[in-house]
Amino acid sequence: MEATAIHALLQSRFGDAVLDYVDGFEKGSLVAPGRVGEIAAFLRDDPALGFESLMCLTGLDWDGYDATGKGKSVDILGYDELGRPEASDRVGDGDLGVAYALYSPRHGHKHALYVRVPRAAPEVASTAGVWPTAAWHEREAWDLVGIRFAGHPDLKRILLDEAWEGHPLRKDYVMPGAWQGVPLDGRDYAACKWDESGVTLPDDVKRQDAATGPETGNQG
Amino acid sequence: MSETATGRGWAAQDVRRELHSELLEINMGPQHPATHGVLRLLVRTDGEIVHGVTAHIGYLHRCAEKIAEGCDWRQWMVYTDRFDYLAPINMNFGYAVAVERMLGVQVPERAEHIRVICAELQRIASHLIAIGTFGLDMGAWTPLLYCFREREEILNILERLSGGRMLYNYFDIGGLRFDAYDGFERDVLAFVNIMEQKIPEYDTLLSYNKIFIERTADVGVIDLATCLAYGCTGPVLRGAGVPFDCRKDDPYSIYDRFEFDIPYGEGEQGTVGDCWDRYMVRMREMYESCRIIRQAVDALPGGPVKAEDLKKLVKVPQGSLYTRTESSKGEIGFHIFADGGSKPFRTKVRSPSFSNLHVIEKVGPGMMLSDLVATVGSLDIVLGEIDR
Repeated sequence: MEATAIHALLQSRFGDAVLDYVDGFEKGSLVAPGRVGEIAAFLRDDPALGFESLMCLTGLDWDGYDATGKGKSVDILGYDELGRPEASDRVGDGDLGVAYALYSPRHGHKHALYVRVPRAAPEVASTAGVWPTAAWHEREAWDLVGIRFAGHPDLKRILLDEAWEGHPLRKDYVMPGAWQGVPLDGRDYAACKWDESGVTLPDDVKRQDAATGPETGNQG
Repeated sequence: MSETATGRGWAAQDVRRELHSELLEINMGPQHPATHGVLRLLVRTDGEIVHGVTAHIGYLHRCAEKIAEGCDWRQWMVYTDRFDYLAPINMNFGYAVAVERMLGVQVPERAEHIRVICAELQRIASHLIAIGTFGLDMGAWTPLLYCFREREEILNILERLSGGRMLYNYFDIGGLRFDAYDGFERDVLAFVNIMEQKIPEYDTLLSYNKIFIERTADVGVIDLATCLAYGCTGPVLRGAGVPFDCRKDDPYSIYDRFEFDIPYGEGEQGTVGDCWDRYMVRMREMYESCRIIRQAVDALPGGPVKAEDLKKLVKVPQGSLYTRTESSKGEIGFHIFADGGSKPFRTKVRSPSFSNLHVIEKVGPGMMLSDLVATVGSLDIVLGEIDR
């Protein structure tokens, strides 16, 4: 079935919940975040569609996308001499989003679903009940992008540690200088001291940095 | 044990209930050799019976997808090597195809042929490890040594080709980094000739070994419905009886020109979708890979190996595309979002082992602990690719 026909079918079935047709390299439908669960169930169960396979689920931060070539992350700016990251005041303001890549093994057609949610309240209905494989992908999207999935059976971090702060794939994420006493900028952590104020480097490490220039230690 | 239990004897139906005590939680990993990398499986057991499996992953997480935001399109190729470090060429291939589709680049014929040869050599190398370590999990030491003997030949060829023994970084957007060395075809053909004779040896040594069959047939059955629901691909899906392969069903590169079959599980020694079926799919795929390599070497044309109209700094037009290719472990997909700039805006890697491992939480409960080891081994996971 053609992507436009799939989109029309969805529109006739779900009305307002299907927001827009997305045309590009891949064709798909932009749908309402709260109703993606029931739309997913329909896509899977309708005999003419038969999207039994969720190939991929991607969480992403749309911040800076529309300004072509400007969609940049806050680079890791560098570290001060105490090993703390230099601060950035950039605050992301774009939407967050989820993209679903679907495939129908029965009919051999593909379709994409897109969802956009405001940064302040990033909540999307879970599709783990429809495609169990989504459970881990959604945990990853929560872990790395910080999108909450309502109705997910066990939404917790999957790749990073439970105690990690922040969601690295957000465009305004700044990498911490140290985590639980371990500096993250590649220094010899056995020689460092750790307290609440951050990492303290021994004098000889600092001297070495000053002598050899910034390329040895200060790049993240 | 209470007196009543002894009185009725061990055969009584409810002895097991009387023996039932608290569930014991044990960690399999992160440093257990049978977990194939740094994977921690939290297993809840009652005696030797598994009641629940929770997979804890992320020990190798490097956030390569974040690193991508700071690299240009060509530069990120080197990080794709590090996903599946047992089949880096297949990872390179997936990323190269994904970006080239968005760019609309025509890859030169010679490059396409060399790519296919490399990818199939790599598939054999990866399957050799899968088979060897799976044998190791089942207590068979010897096959591993033979598998590594043949794998060594592949590594030698790829080393002569690319300069690296493990991580090749040989593919480039629009072609290859450099042309193959003189005598490449000769080396490849010599290897294929040997390999085709060795496969029956492995069969005698391991596949039809009675102890091996006892340990793997009817064990860890993953049926088709479970595979679809959990997104299992590659030999796991084919082991469940479906000849689905991206090389045929979602063609990329020049695979449509070659003649080869897709092996799938038929429940020859037990049930369709058991560990033996998944193992045997890999074994038969090595033979099919040899067939593809022969055809590709025969048809190998001369000419350039790089798309010449492509600039050094490529800019992918705005848009998004999910592209999948067949790696040795299954479907490696790249969902790429480009904003029109010289760096990827977002690249999501859909790694096959990620979904293939997820299914263990579903099929694990109810197994014997030793069968859990067999099942994990038969999934052939690589943690570098799960954790990215």
